[in-house]
Order: sequence, then C-alpha cells, then structure tokens
Amino acid sequence: MESMESLFPVLESKFGVNRDARDKWGLTVVVSADNLHGLVEFLKNDSATQFDMLVDIAGIDYLGYRSALSEREHEGPRFAVKYNFKSMKNPGHRMSVKVLVSEDSLSVPTISDLFEIANWQEREVWDQYGIVFKGHPDLRRLLNHVEFVGHPLRKDYPQQKRQWLSTNDFLLPALEARLETLGYRVIERSKEVEPNPDEFLEGSIKE
Amino acid sequence: MIVLDKDGEKLNLMPLNVGPSHPATHGCLRFLAALDGETIVASVEEIGYLHRGFEKMVERGTWQQVIPYTDRLNYCSAIMNNIAFCRAVEEMYGIEIPERTKVLRVIVNELSRINDHFVCVAAASQDLGGTTAFMYCFNPREMIMCIWEKLTGARLTNSFSRIGGLYRDSYDGFEKDVLEALDATEVALKDWHACMDRNRIFLDRTVGVGKISQEKAISYGWTGPCLRATGVASDLRKDEPYYDYETYDWEVVTGTEGDVNDRLQVRMAEIEESVKIVRQALKRLSPGPVDIVDPRIRIPSHKLAYQDMEALIGRFKGVYEGIRVPEGEHYCGSEVANGELGFTIVSSGSGHPWRIKVRPPCFTQFAAFHDLVEGTQLADSMATLSSLNIIAGELDR
Amino acid sequence: MNTEEKTGNFITTSLDFIVNWGRTNSLWPFPYGTACCAIEFMSTEVGRYDLSRIGSEYVRFTARQSDVLLVAGTITYKQAPILKRIYEQMAEPRWVIAMGACASSGGFYDCYCTVPGIDHIIPVDVYIGGCPSRPEAFFDAMFDLQNKIKDESYMKQRAERVKEQLEMIKAKTAEATANAKELAHEKVVDFRDYMAEKERKLAKKVQVWKE
Repeated sequence: MESMESLFPVLESKFGVNRDARDKWGLTVVVSADNLHGLVEFLKNDSATQFDMLVDIAGIDYLGYRSALSEREHEGPRFAVKYNFKSMKNPGHRMSVKVLVSEDSLSVPTISDLFEIANWQEREVWDQYGIVFKGHPDLRRLLNHVEFVGHPLRKDYPQQKRQWLSTNDFLLPALEARLETLGYRVIERSKEVEPNPDEFLEGSIKE
Repeated sequence: MIVLDKDGEKLNLMPLNVGPSHPATHGCLRFLAALDGETIVASVEEIGYLHRGFEKMVERGTWQQVIPYTDRLNYCSAIMNNIAFCRAVEEMYGIEIPERTKVLRVIVNELSRINDHFVCVAAASQDLGGTTAFMYCFNPREMIMCIWEKLTGARLTNSFSRIGGLYRDSYDGFEKDVLEALDATEVALKDWHACMDRNRIFLDRTVGVGKISQEKAISYGWTGPCLRATGVASDLRKDEPYYDYETYDWEVVTGTEGDVNDRLQVRMAEIEESVKIVRQALKRLSPGPVDIVDPRIRIPSHKLAYQDMEALIGRFKGVYEGIRVPEGEHYCGSEVANGELGFTIVSSGSGHPWRIKVRPPCFTQFAAFHDLVEGTQLADSMATLSSLNIIAGELDR
Repeated sequence: MNTEEKTGNFITTSLDFIVNWGRTNSLWPFPYGTACCAIEFMSTEVGRYDLSRIGSEYVRFTARQSDVLLVAGTITYKQAPILKRIYEQMAEPRWVIAMGACASSGGFYDCYCTVPGIDHIIPVDVYIGGCPSRPEAFFDAMFDLQNKIKDESYMKQRAERVKEQLEMIKAKTAEATANAKELAHEKVVDFRDYMAEKERKLAKKVQVWKE
C-alpha cells in the first residue's frame, strides 16, 4: 500500500488516472479507455512497479445500483471492467485498474498482446456482458454455447431465461485459425467444415 | 485437412476431437487437435460444459447463502473455498476472527489440501495405468472424509465456514482422528513413492513432458503448484500471510523443470508440508470461542437465542434479512490447492451481493494447454491434462 | 464317472430367469461424470465401498460396451446434445441412473444455463437424491435397478416387439391397400373422363356431318 502512495502521482501525471472511491483500500485507479493500454504496458514493464501478472478481469454492471446507506443511485456509465494485477517480483504487491464503459460505446482496447491470459478472460467478459474488446484476435463466446442470444450476467437478463442448443459446438474454424497463427497455411479444408445440414442436426434435441 | 508448413511442405493433418466425455478429460473439457501421425500440431480448447451460473445465482441470495455455492467450485476441497470466500468478506468488514477459529481453519485447510492433491495424483496415476497407486491415494482420503462427516455432517460439500466464524466447534476426539489420518497419509505417501519414484514407465511418460517456461507461466497467470513446479517460489501463504501461516515451520516446495513429473512431485511434497503444518497447529489448539460476538455478522447461537431477547432478534434478522456487508469493492485472493482463488466482491451495502466474480486457478492453467501439448504425442496430452488438475466446477463456474 | 459328468452338466430354468440373472450381476456403468457426484462415484469404486461387490467395477468409457448410463453431475444446455448422442449410441438393453440432485432436477442451480433434470432429454430409470449422493445411496440405487431388471421379462419384451412389428406390418399393408385403391379410383375416373370427352367429340363430329 505504501508503494501505491508513491506510485499514484506518477500515474496521475502520465495517464490522468483517478482513485476509485468505492475501493476503501485505495488500491484501485480509474482510467479512461484510451489510456488503458499505455497504463498497463507501463505497469508491466516499468522497473518501479513490475505488476507482471494479470490475475483477473471482472466485468461489473451497475444498472439499478443503489447504495443501501446513502440511498444514492449510481451515476456515470453503466458498465465497468476491472483488471487485477499482482507483482511476482515484489511479492505481496497488488493493484487494480478500472475502466468505465458506457452503454453507447461498449468497447475497451484489448490487452491480450501484453498478457496471454487476457485472451480468455476478455472472451469471458464479452460473453457475459457484451463488452467488445477492440483488437482482440478471436472474440468468441467462452462459457455459453454458440446459439445463445444475449449476455446473461447483465442485470436485465432474466435469471431463468433458458436457451436450448440444437447441436454441438463446432471447433474446426478455430483450429484452422490456430494453424494459421502457427505459420501453417490451410490449402484444403476438412470436409466437415461445411456439414450436410441433415447430418449436422442429427443429435438435435430441439424437437 | 491438407496444409502447407513453413517450408512449403505438404502435410495431411487429421482433426481429432477429444472430450467432453472422455475418461482422461476429468469433468467435461474438450479439445480439438490436428494430428500429424501421432504428433499434435495444433490444438484448441473449448470450455463451458459445466457453466452453472454461479455468478448469476449468488446475486439472488443473501451473503451467507453464497457459501454452499462456493462448495461446488472445487469440489475436491470444498472447505478451502468456503474459507477463501469468508476471508474475503471478513476483509471487507475489517474484522478479526478468534484465535481458535484461525487454528481450526488452518487445520481443515491443510487437510483439504491433502485431499485435493491426493485426488489429483490418484487420477494422474490412473490415467497413466497405475491403478494400485490410485487405491493407495484414496485410503487416507477416506479417513479424512470420515473426519469431515463427524465435523460437518457431509462428506464432500461441507459448507463448514461461516462469515465471522465456523459452523460449529470441533468434536471430542477430533485431535486423535486427525493424527490417525495424518499417519495414514504418511503411509500412503511412502507407498506412492515406492510405486512411482523409480518406475520406468511412469518416468518415461512424465519426465520432460508438457514443459512450460517461467515467463510463459507467469504471462498465463499460473499460480499454485503448477507455477511452483517451474521454479517460482510463490505462495500466498508466505507472500501475503493470513491466519499466521508465516509462524508455522514449513517450506515452499518448488520444482525445476516445470514438466508433468515436477507438478506431481510438488503436489506430493506439499502434502508432506501440510502434514507438518497440521501437526504444529494441533498443538496450538486452545479452548475458546469460534464465533465473533456481533449479532450483525454472525447469528447468535441457539442456546443464547432461548435466553436473551436481543439474541433472538439477532437470529431472526440474520436469517431473514441476512448480514449487510459494508459498501465497497474488494479483491481478495487465498492460496487453495490449485493456486490462487480470488473473489472480486462488489457490495452495495444491502443484504445481497451485487457482484461476485471468482478468479479460478484452473482457468489460467487450462488456457495454456495448447502451448503445453503442441509438438508432443497425443498420449502425452493425457498425462499433461491430469497433472494440471483441472476441476470443471471452478473452471466454468 | 461318465454318468456323473452327464448329470452335473445341465440345469433347467426359465429363459427369463437366466437372462435376468446375467444382466443383473454384470451391470457395466458408463460414468458420465461432470461434477461433484463424479468424485463420490470415484470413492464408491475404491477400497472402502468397493463397487465390484455387485459386479459393476468394470467401468467402461464407451457407450457401446456399457449397460448403465450413470449421469453424475449437472447437465448444462451446452452439454445436453452430447448426453443425448451418447444415450442414442448405447445398445439395448440400457438403463439410466440420475445421480444427485443436479441430474435429477437441476438441484439448486435454477439458472439460464442448467437443464432442470436430465429427464427433459433422456428417460431415467432410477433417481438418487443428495448433493452429492453418498456412496451408500448409490449402492441402494444399484440394488433398486437390479430389482427392476429382475422384474423384466425377456419373453414378454420379445412378444411386445413382435406385436409391434405385426402392428407395423398391418398398418403398412392397410396404407398400401388404401394407396392402391385410391390409384385405381383415380384411373377409373381418368378413364371415365376420357370416354366422356370422346363421346362429346363423337357427338360433335356427328353434328358436323349432319349439317
């Protein structure tokens, strides 16, 4: 926490961050979406900070948020994305970065080029909240199935709205993309890429 | 599918689907591998087959009602998840729990860790064809299960911890049972090492398989035994000590190579360290209360509720309205068997959680799976998968 | 010596009894384990509880070699098509056990992603309660299933199958007859129309000639 006291003025002058009033421990800074990538790069590589592990990315939906004590409604953008970092080189140092996302823009720059794990964690946030990560290499659903419509963790998604899946998820396009990134070139696709609709729906449970 | 590799050579690859219902994909994981002969050229993973909506469900209930859901995150060591969640909420309150609770929590934590590691190593041995080792590992586990039955009333999903205390105090003869279980654990450890340590088949299938470098592991956010197997001595019990873990005499176990054998051996060595910690903790166990005295956080006991009006009111309120956690946002991570289990908690100050985000340790480990198996044989991917100890319940939540 | 061998080498029994006896005591399970219940199933298998006492220790992970589909754990919508496919792959006779609250009813996951009980997808023979069910409960379910199998009659089932086939043949014959009749009727109608047309043409011709 002492390191945060010395770190905060630097971040404030460089990236224009604010402290998050909700975090009583003072370990969270709020940054605008434009400065996020620069800030994370600075935190990761700068010798003074060295937050070199991305622990978690959490999406938050503030729709209908109401403080129980002061009875104040939530002001500002509806969504937030919270990044938790920790330092492996100075054990015990942690920090969080928060980006507020309005309902109109719904986009945050990706940091999957800096941390490998951000790839999946951003996919999860997109799946659950519908927040788009600009520049993400492969923004697909992660936890819910392909035929799912909507984003379940939003506060306005009914809890018991169930959606049937008619068939199994299809991974071959993803495998081809993975081969391309490894330097291979697909010249003849598998026959199964464009399946026969009758055959494809054989295991269907919709009827 | 036919592909050209980097040198322009033509390769005929076969896509092979493994899982989600496959003996070696414990739980329900799935990966699709492009095979050249028996070598995996590329692989992609798919998760979400056990996505049960933990994060949506907990927003509906009260804070205490979250605890049963945390049981089912990592069901091999349910109590550890309870304690991790309760610790996160207690940090939001800023309360200190009684001394006896701390020691009891350390004991059940470490017993759960032994349980979890035994399941992982047993399953890994089973996948490599060693059914005997599987049986050896399950014997002390059943003894610990008997302790859980006496202590909590359940075998697997215990819900033992409460915010600001424990469900109940330990029973008479608890120490004796624990010591017996520890002895059985040591016997099983000896047996397992005798079976596996110089077993040619086991070594051939595990040494040098599924390697990962330190930098890559950190970039993937690995924690726990899998990261320690690469040589990083990172353990939250030492780095950010809680429950006086730093005052016990134990060591952080590290590996050197970061391969399958290291991961399994680190787990087995950690069981030894856990046995040490439990033995010391049993000596520290002194009589005292297990719950904090604050009817707003921990509901008063039955005995008190029949005698005292205030306690009765506290009990009613605690059950019907639930406790009110102070407004704020907080992240708290604890060291569980697989690594760092973190909870990002957003509270609006009401009786219901606004948002609880789980940071599961398996998630980061499974995300790196394609890096581990590409270039190895298909059979090695099974050994790699079982050494990572992926628990679908916390992977998909 | 010879006579002894001859007398000792045959028994008389009913076909139903011998078939059911074989089926009851070698139920090979397919553990479709997804969650917590699968861990309890592992406990059931090993030393303390020992599933091999009822001849079920031979766990098969392929649908084609197993008799009992043991669904242990929550089934989500993402998984439902796979479960259904596996059930369809199993050979008759097949039985299904829903182990634990989640598989039986969805358990306490009443949510956008969990199937409220696997009986929405496949038929179930025995339900086990508990979250997760204890090994003892699992044994109880296996005994229930064994009793259920003992009540089944191979000959009756066969008779039913034959009856179904007969009914199917009857229905098909009836359909074919109806089709043929309709066709014949159509032909008759066609012929009548044709004749009427011809008659009209003839009448026209006659009129022309008359004029």
